[in-house]
Amino acid sequence: MSTQHSKAAKAFLKNQTYAHWHDATFWAVRTKRDNMAYGLDEWEQLREKASQIKRHTITHLDKYLDQFATAAERNGCEVHWAKDAKEFNEIVFGILKNHNVKKMVKSKSMLTEECGMNPYLEAKGIEVVETDLGERIIQLKGQAPSHIVMPAIHLSHDDVGELFEEKGISNEKGNHDPTYLTYRARLSLRNEFLTADAGMTGANFGIAETGDIVVCTNEGNADMSTSCPKLHIAAIGLEKIIPNYDCLAVFQRMLCRAGTGQPTTTYTSHFRKARPTADHMHIILVDNGRSEWIGNPQHWEVLKCIRCGSCMNTCPVYRRSGGYSYSYFIPGPIGINLGMLRNPQQHSGNVSACTLCLSCQTVCPVKLNLGDQIYQWRQQLDDFGTANPQKKLMCKGMSMVYGSPGIYNLGTSLAHWANYIPSPLMNCSLNPWAEGHKMMEFPKKPFHKMIKDYE
Amino acid sequence: MSSKEDILKRYRANVKEQFDMPDLSDIAGVTYPDPLLQFINMTKSVGGNAIEVAKGRDINEIIRELYPEAKEIASNLSEVTIATRNPDNVSQASDLNGTDVGIIRGEFGVAENACIWIPQTMKEKAVMFISENLVILLPKSQIVNNMHEAYRRIEFNNYGYGTFISGPSKTADIAQVLVMGAQAARSATVLLLDDSDL
Amino acid sequence: MKNKERDMKIGLFIPCYVDAVYPEVGLATWKLLKHLGLDVTYPEKQTCCGQPMANAGFEKQAIPLAGKFEEKFKGYDYVVSPSVSCTAFIRLNYPRLLNHECETAKRCMDVVEFLHDVVKVDRRLGTFPHKVSLHNSCHGVRELGLSSPSEQHVEKFNKIKDLLQLVDGIDVVEPERADECCGFGGMFSVEETAVSAQMGLDKVERHVQTGAEYITGPDCSCLMHMAGVAKKQGLKIEFMHVVEILASGL
Repeated sequence: MSTQHSKAAKAFLKNQTYAHWHDATFWAVRTKRDNMAYGLDEWEQLREKASQIKRHTITHLDKYLDQFATAAERNGCEVHWAKDAKEFNEIVFGILKNHNVKKMVKSKSMLTEECGMNPYLEAKGIEVVETDLGERIIQLKGQAPSHIVMPAIHLSHDDVGELFEEKGISNEKGNHDPTYLTYRARLSLRNEFLTADAGMTGANFGIAETGDIVVCTNEGNADMSTSCPKLHIAAIGLEKIIPNYDCLAVFQRMLCRAGTGQPTTTYTSHFRKARPTADHMHIILVDNGRSEWIGNPQHWEVLKCIRCGSCMNTCPVYRRSGGYSYSYFIPGPIGINLGMLRNPQQHSGNVSACTLCLSCQTVCPVKLNLGDQIYQWRQQLDDFGTANPQKKLMCKGMSMVYGSPGIYNLGTSLAHWANYIPSPLMNCSLNPWAEGHKMMEFPKKPFHKMIKDYE
Repeated sequence: MSSKEDILKRYRANVKEQFDMPDLSDIAGVTYPDPLLQFINMTKSVGGNAIEVAKGRDINEIIRELYPEAKEIASNLSEVTIATRNPDNVSQASDLNGTDVGIIRGEFGVAENACIWIPQTMKEKAVMFISENLVILLPKSQIVNNMHEAYRRIEFNNYGYGTFISGPSKTADIAQVLVMGAQAARSATVLLLDDSDL
Repeated sequence: MKNKERDMKIGLFIPCYVDAVYPEVGLATWKLLKHLGLDVTYPEKQTCCGQPMANAGFEKQAIPLAGKFEEKFKGYDYVVSPSVSCTAFIRLNYPRLLNHECETAKRCMDVVEFLHDVVKVDRRLGTFPHKVSLHNSCHGVRELGLSSPSEQHVEKFNKIKDLLQLVDGIDVVEPERADECCGFGGMFSVEETAVSAQMGLDKVERHVQTGAEYITGPDCSCLMHMAGVAKKQGLKIEFMHVVEILASGL
């Protein structure tokens, strides 16, 4: 009854030292978030308001998208609309080609990851340089992100040190001190910012009323990407649009507290138009399935997500299996749900990587019912043709037994015979319970027989 | 049909149930008995420096004291007489690379998170990020409690850019070890000025 | 206790695995409720609430069981069960599964919340002079509201702890990560065996670190999982359901 996730998780846990570090590291981030939450009396009120703002906004999104595009165009931006990933990539390439761009620096954008933009542009001869340090590291290593906020968390400082030595970024062999490595990355990326022809950012928020693109970073790389090159392209998923600054205040206060346990990112930057010495600012609004998801009666609320990452930080399964165990590029509770919306046949395996503990939805700043939705996806697996046949058979069996008190009572009366099954037989691979547990003792008399002596 | 029309049409058709905008006026945003003190404490906790400048003191002296080794100082502020570069006069943004200290003006500060609202007021905003060290002049009487108050107050000018900056640039991307100075300023100092010195 | 409470008709729901593996927990529940002077009946021919199949993705298979439950427990003022996971499943899902044509699901309560909120027990219960580490089962915390979730900024409370404090001689402590999941999760334990075992071991070790002699909680499935892991690893700590401790010595 194994899945891609369960096999990958087993391998992940073989390195016990690393697995414990991974779990402890993310629990520490969860703890920092807790301290932020406990420090604000209005935290639960903010969560409720955030949830309600999102429910309103995403169910009136057509109006807000229109308002946003109008405001942005009035500011002087060129606004594009991409139906899907293919169109997005083509639009980006078209803009870059028109401006003779050879090299583009970019700040973090999971949306561009979703659309496969980097390999698309690279195949067309455009150099794309990630400037978020974590993203740059995995770009150089040729890996995918293992977390949506801390993409290189799966690498040790030795891994990074060796990588930088190999790529000529560091020049002191054996110096794997994070402060030193960060400084060497700074020098390398500084050169990229100064020689790039274009800068791309994602967007944490788009403000409908004013046309602002809002980008939050700790590193300042979104601002460096847009202060030196003469072209700014901002990629934004439809659902990132919010009505106005009063709403933004709620989300800005929660995003970083929830995601990294900081009261704010170092930079919260608002872009309305290109700077006077630059050529243009382009904004690309991306659909890629979102206009379908809003119509899904059980799962439309995934559009509330502000991509803070707190659900994966608190998820006991994510912490003990790591981002690469999941088949979708976004891991953890939100990744399980988004993966199922993207391609249920491909990502059904993730749906059992959950104990339904509901910590995720209790932590979520926008009260996204992540765990409840995972339960609902499970009910649909049979329809998708991805229900595990062994599980299905087991449940049919249980249904039969539980449906008949006669069979059930017989079963419970005979259960204690299991106590006499020899250990090698009991603990064989046909009994997955025995992998991690010593078998329980079955009592001679079940309760329903025992109670007769007392009634 | 354009992609815009296609997307909006499909979205509109797929929405099942609609919800009202909540009332946000009853949000009990955190307030402080002494917002300036909170701002100063928060600035320190995010890795920045906050200095209350005595009335009448010359900020150029203070900057020299803070950065005695600084060679290139960039600013377009008239009160900064020690500037060696001016972000209004460089021919391109990259000319500002190698700036040891960039000096800019902030409009107001936010006590809850040490954010400072800084609208762009120079031709090349790169000065705010490319400088090794950043100095922000801030009127100490202009501190609001929280981001709700802040967002009711921010204004833009024709440059069409503004940012909240809280402390220096930082990252913990390598093994979760916090390092100050990622891609932008490696240190950030706020000079809190008396109203009479503005 | 007021006369109104004495007149309450209580039906005892004993989940399948309590019936088969932990009958002493069912017995302790029976004894405790009787000791408090309540009118308790155990209707025969109970089987299962359907949660294992539902969590595995076959909730439709729980519908006939929900129907049986509705029939069997009609006419009782409360249905009380020593299992937070079963109670939560019944109360939160049966109305939906039965198209809201049901009465009994709303009146189904876990024994802890029943004693705390309805009976409002405030007198000395059993005797148990031992140090116990409290296991806050997820269904109890985040579905039934037995305690304040550590994720939320709310006033701290713990109904299980409140009741345990009525036991003579007891010393109740909580482990670090007080409401982190133990990793049972029903089918999860046999599908994601490695993660489930790791979660179980991590949780047991945190309980052991408190120096407690017993791990106690409101759900046998969590205890069964942790006991299996603990015994396999040779860890010396005992397991008891909360209701067994409350009834201890009565």
